[in-house]
Amino acid sequence: MPPLPVITGLGFITSIGNDRPTVLRSLRELRHGFESVEFFGNPDLPVKVAGTVKGFAFPTPNWRDWVWPDHFAVDRELLRGLAPHGVYALCALQQALADAGLDPAALAGGQTGLFCASAGSPFLLGHFLNQMYATRGERGNPMGIISSIAGTLNFNLAAHYKISGAVCGFVSACASSSHALGYAMDEIRLGRQQRMLVVGAEDMTAESIVSFSTLRALSNNPDPATASRPFDRRRDGFVGTGGAVALVVEDAALACRRGARVYAELVGWGQAGDGYSVATSHPEGAGLREAMRRTLADARVDAHEVSYVNAHATSTPAGDRSEALALQAVFTSNGAKPRVSSTKALTGHALSLAGAMEAAFCALAIAEGFIPGAAHLEEPDPVCAGLDFPRVSLCEAPHFVLNNSSGFGGSNVCHLLRRPA
Amino acid sequence: MPSNSAKTYLATSQADRIKHLPAEARAAFQRFQTLGDPAGLDMVICAILADFMPRRPTVPLAERPGSTRLIDDLGFDSLAITEVIFFAEDLFGITITNEEMVHVRTLDDLRGFIRRKVAVHAPR
Repeated sequence: MPPLPVITGLGFITSIGNDRPTVLRSLRELRHGFESVEFFGNPDLPVKVAGTVKGFAFPTPNWRDWVWPDHFAVDRELLRGLAPHGVYALCALQQALADAGLDPAALAGGQTGLFCASAGSPFLLGHFLNQMYATRGERGNPMGIISSIAGTLNFNLAAHYKISGAVCGFVSACASSSHALGYAMDEIRLGRQQRMLVVGAEDMTAESIVSFSTLRALSNNPDPATASRPFDRRRDGFVGTGGAVALVVEDAALACRRGARVYAELVGWGQAGDGYSVATSHPEGAGLREAMRRTLADARVDAHEVSYVNAHATSTPAGDRSEALALQAVFTSNGAKPRVSSTKALTGHALSLAGAMEAAFCALAIAEGFIPGAAHLEEPDPVCAGLDFPRVSLCEAPHFVLNNSSGFGGSNVCHLLRRPA
Repeated sequence: MPSNSAKTYLATSQADRIKHLPAEARAAFQRFQTLGDPAGLDMVICAILADFMPRRPTVPLAERPGSTRLIDDLGFDSLAITEVIFFAEDLFGITITNEEMVHVRTLDDLRGFIRRKVAVHAPR
């Protein structure tokens, strides 16, 4: 039997819950994680809603002022090199390891690797650089680089958990953690590693989110109950969020030997570029269409066999339209009609974290036997004709689940998950 | 020597810089600044060290023997020592070179070294 990557542990720090039971309830009952916010203390900003991460606070760049839930252990030694999303990531990974029944000591020895994804911390990097500008380079936090650049997650977590297997960070904007998970699957399928930890995370700060308003990508809808409504005719942009999700991915044989619970099998993945624009998706979703086809081909699965698609749809007018057309090309035009929803209607768009977070949601859906509904969808955009959006979560156990992600530059990544035999 | 912009930065951020130290350490810093009290200086140095220690100290540093080693006994690493140096430089308006720090291995070494430095560079 060739190695088969399976998911054996999940950890969540998200706008819809900081533990698996809460996230599960939010997905089943379509409870969103949005709150009204005032970024930069500026009431004039049109962006007024975010997917807040409850129980955490990062009021200043100084880690001594930071707050996290008491039941997570965050060492001082580690804290000095962490960004806010590093704290989220550490908490999510602690959960995932406990969920998988793994002692952190078992991660050393070279059989376990770590792939991470984040955009770094604009919040800390801005502070660090401002300090350097003010002193003309004469002062700077020695941990400023380590805590703020893209890669900060793998720097910190690999050293902390003494990971001597494959360690890498992935940067493809909103497809980043989907790339991390896809390549983690390959590490196992190629026999290079027996276990991979995959961690996606993003700060939930004004610096990370409001930057997207310059692209006119954010929703200006002030109502937390409707600001994020993927595929709806009235959608006007995405709602930002942050947090972290960790997945423990193991070779099925190792999971079986350990007696570990298997949430889902990872049976295929694929990627394709749009080759079109630096920031906007291909108008017909060409890259995403190809990424879905490559994923199905990788898994040798027909489009008709897919029960549910967790769409990337972020609630932007152009992006959702492209994805709808890509879904129609792959599924509807072939007579296939999987259920489709975007859980970003509940969480908001978590940028680099999105792909791993939604893969974890797909794994939960498979393990718990349900399909998350398309929250906040009242008037589907006519371009979505033929797509099957359940308005409530369904008590249907999906067999094959497709997870879509797309990032800047037209980077599209998909995973296919299967219910364990 | 620090540039003018650096001096402005150092002067304007000093109050913020010590707000995380215990109240007695903040008071000791004031005593040192106004009266030149060397005992106050030692208390501030211990508070800075405790603040940057990678692991929370189990015994107050002021109660540890002067021969206690920063790396081997207190668990400091080079990055944490660099953080202490930068902090001390900014707070006391002194300059510490890497070559000088190589010879600072114990609590007594550090206290003696900073005392000598601030005696040369009067506190701002």
